[in-house]
Amino acid sequence: MDTQFYSLSVQGVEPVISGRATSVTFAVPEYLRQTFRWVAGQHLTLRLNVNGKEHRRCYTISNPPDGDLRITVKRVQNGVVSNFVADQLTVGTLIEVMPPFGTFKLTPDPLARRTHYFFGAGSGITPLYAMICDVLTKEPYSVAHLVLGNPKEKEIIFHDTLEELQTAYLERITVRHVLSSQSMWSGFSPWRKGRVDADAVQAAITEMPPVAQDTQYWICGPGSMNEDVARALANLDVPQNRIHMESFGGQTQTNRGIAGKAAAALVTLNGTTTEVQIAPDQTVLDAMLAAGLSPAFSCQSGVCGACRAKLTSGDIHMRAHMALDEKEIKSGDILCCQSVATSNRLEVHFPDGT
Amino acid sequence: MTRMYHNLPLDAYTSQDWFDREQRLIFSRTWRYAGLVEDVPEPGHYVSVQAGLNNIFIVMGRDFRLRAFHNICRHRGTQLIRAVGKTQKALTCPYHDWTYDLEGNLVSVPDEAREYPNGIDKSCLGLKPAAVDVWRGMLFVHPDPNPPSLAAYLGEVDPLLGPHKPEELVEYEDARQTYEIKANWKIVVENYIDVYHLSHLHSNTLHMYDHAKAEYGWKGPHYHFWEPPSEAYGKDLEANLPTPRVIPEQHRGAWVPMLFPGLGLGASEDSWNLFVITPLAPDLTRIENRTKLANATSWEYSKQSWSSAGFWKSFGGPKYSGDDVASEDDPMASGDFTAEDIYACEQQQKSLASPYLEIGPASTGESPITNHQKAILEFMAQQETAAK
Repeated sequence: MDTQFYSLSVQGVEPVISGRATSVTFAVPEYLRQTFRWVAGQHLTLRLNVNGKEHRRCYTISNPPDGDLRITVKRVQNGVVSNFVADQLTVGTLIEVMPPFGTFKLTPDPLARRTHYFFGAGSGITPLYAMICDVLTKEPYSVAHLVLGNPKEKEIIFHDTLEELQTAYLERITVRHVLSSQSMWSGFSPWRKGRVDADAVQAAITEMPPVAQDTQYWICGPGSMNEDVARALANLDVPQNRIHMESFGGQTQTNRGIAGKAAAALVTLNGTTTEVQIAPDQTVLDAMLAAGLSPAFSCQSGVCGACRAKLTSGDIHMRAHMALDEKEIKSGDILCCQSVATSNRLEVHFPDGT
Repeated sequence: MTRMYHNLPLDAYTSQDWFDREQRLIFSRTWRYAGLVEDVPEPGHYVSVQAGLNNIFIVMGRDFRLRAFHNICRHRGTQLIRAVGKTQKALTCPYHDWTYDLEGNLVSVPDEAREYPNGIDKSCLGLKPAAVDVWRGMLFVHPDPNPPSLAAYLGEVDPLLGPHKPEELVEYEDARQTYEIKANWKIVVENYIDVYHLSHLHSNTLHMYDHAKAEYGWKGPHYHFWEPPSEAYGKDLEANLPTPRVIPEQHRGAWVPMLFPGLGLGASEDSWNLFVITPLAPDLTRIENRTKLANATSWEYSKQSWSSAGFWKSFGGPKYSGDDVASEDDPMASGDFTAEDIYACEQQQKSLASPYLEIGPASTGESPITNHQKAILEFMAQQETAAK
């Protein structure tokens, strides 16, 4: 994985859903084309300086790989970066961007014949949109069924584009909107009211049972929706290996219920072992940075996996761990940006060459 | 010297050895028709099919996805389930009651502690998975759990099979039948794809279509065929159709492809028919027919029947009449094209045993026959290479 940052120039800034979100496209110079190739569903990490302070954020690429390199950022109330992107980014601004990565990805296969179910909410549409476009154009024998949750109609990102896709690919895509607080005066009637929950999952699959029998389920929404959908699918006996899931930035499943202890950690990075003091509730990553070490890291939200290391001794608590599966966690993999100590001594090894 | 029937030795039509090789190399290694989607309508329903040497069953899970497994208990190999049925959550072998869930996992072994005092690892004894997929409302199975996709197998020929959407039609139960033909399966296929015979054997039974204008060819091992309505039939086609239309009006004609191996379709403006060929022995073949018609009201059926009555009243007749008729049930006097075909196939098979048999040159309209023989040779050669 290339964890280096490259300067990319902003090519376009476009407000979407009346400015409540912003699409930003980047110009990728010829010599970086290869480096910045992506698979639908992957994301970018941005490093920005806002008011003299460095911030890193992960955003899904909201276009299929043959489109422009584009992210779509929803404005978060008091969000430093999302508001900066919406209000201050202009064409030509240079931004530090790490090449695309992420394991939540859909690689189309022209001869595959699959039924793809997509469950999303809010800005969770961004990777799903890239995937749906790619399926429609590059996997001609497959179909896509989207169930998308939002509070109101006017907050549906890419609403028009999705309708255009439905017209262009009449028999290969269905879209079902689920709205939680739609005004009764609105002329738009969603498929269902409420949330993308177990009932919605069951209803969608009953209405649209698979024709192509190689089914895949793609979930991207806030943590609680992901858990609900995954549980609903498991209750229907959907095998785990057909379910693909990602939480989106800012609202990852975080568990802050456990406070971190002060601890001493023996950290092995690039073959050198250093003792690092961890303050109460400080993450392993923050402690290492404070100690002057420079491990690889990126999203700082447990999504990307760039700061992955092995815990060989001691105990930690991870606030979020989207980038790791259960097997990896059992084998001792941790995400340093999400790990606080729960024992007094830790030993952490970083893989060589990162 | 090996006596030949065009590209194949005569043996290929009569010997047990060839039959066995075809079972092994063709029917056990391809996507095989297994029924219509409505045969497995709901979670828990299942159906089984013999595909060459493999007996495979399909069951629908609660997620509405179909699963396919080899119909073999992992204990002593007993067939788990019978032809069709419905279960709740589990499949139990009748022999020792070993029980599997709908994912194929072995979930229960009776008297486990007593019978297997050293333990038994149920996780290694799940049912062997196979593959299942749906194409144009038909179920297909493949013995390999990860075969090339149905799109890879049928995608290229699909645009030539007509605009029909069988999944939107309803089955005409009266036309569902199974019968046996005393002939090799290839003789039956060859009869199905022989363009030359249409104007002759069926001179009085299939002339609502214009055989001289037939367009046909091959995509891989699959044969495609289309012909337009005859002038007399097509002149007032909308009135002459015996039942309501099933495809948009701009589409006219009959599509009669033969998908490899041995799956014949027959689709016209108003119907969609299946002709499933299953080899039973070197000289015995089973045919299964199913028909789907428009999902229309009985009023619409009545209207179409009245409007077409005039055309069909004076249409057709027997091939033989008068002194040529051998008996009351002579198929050649039946006026039924299926009876005519069965007769021709069985008469030909009988002659294959004669030492005096010598096959004459193939005509232009018989090129599909020589091509089908080539397709068989090529497919078996590929499979033999792959097996090495």
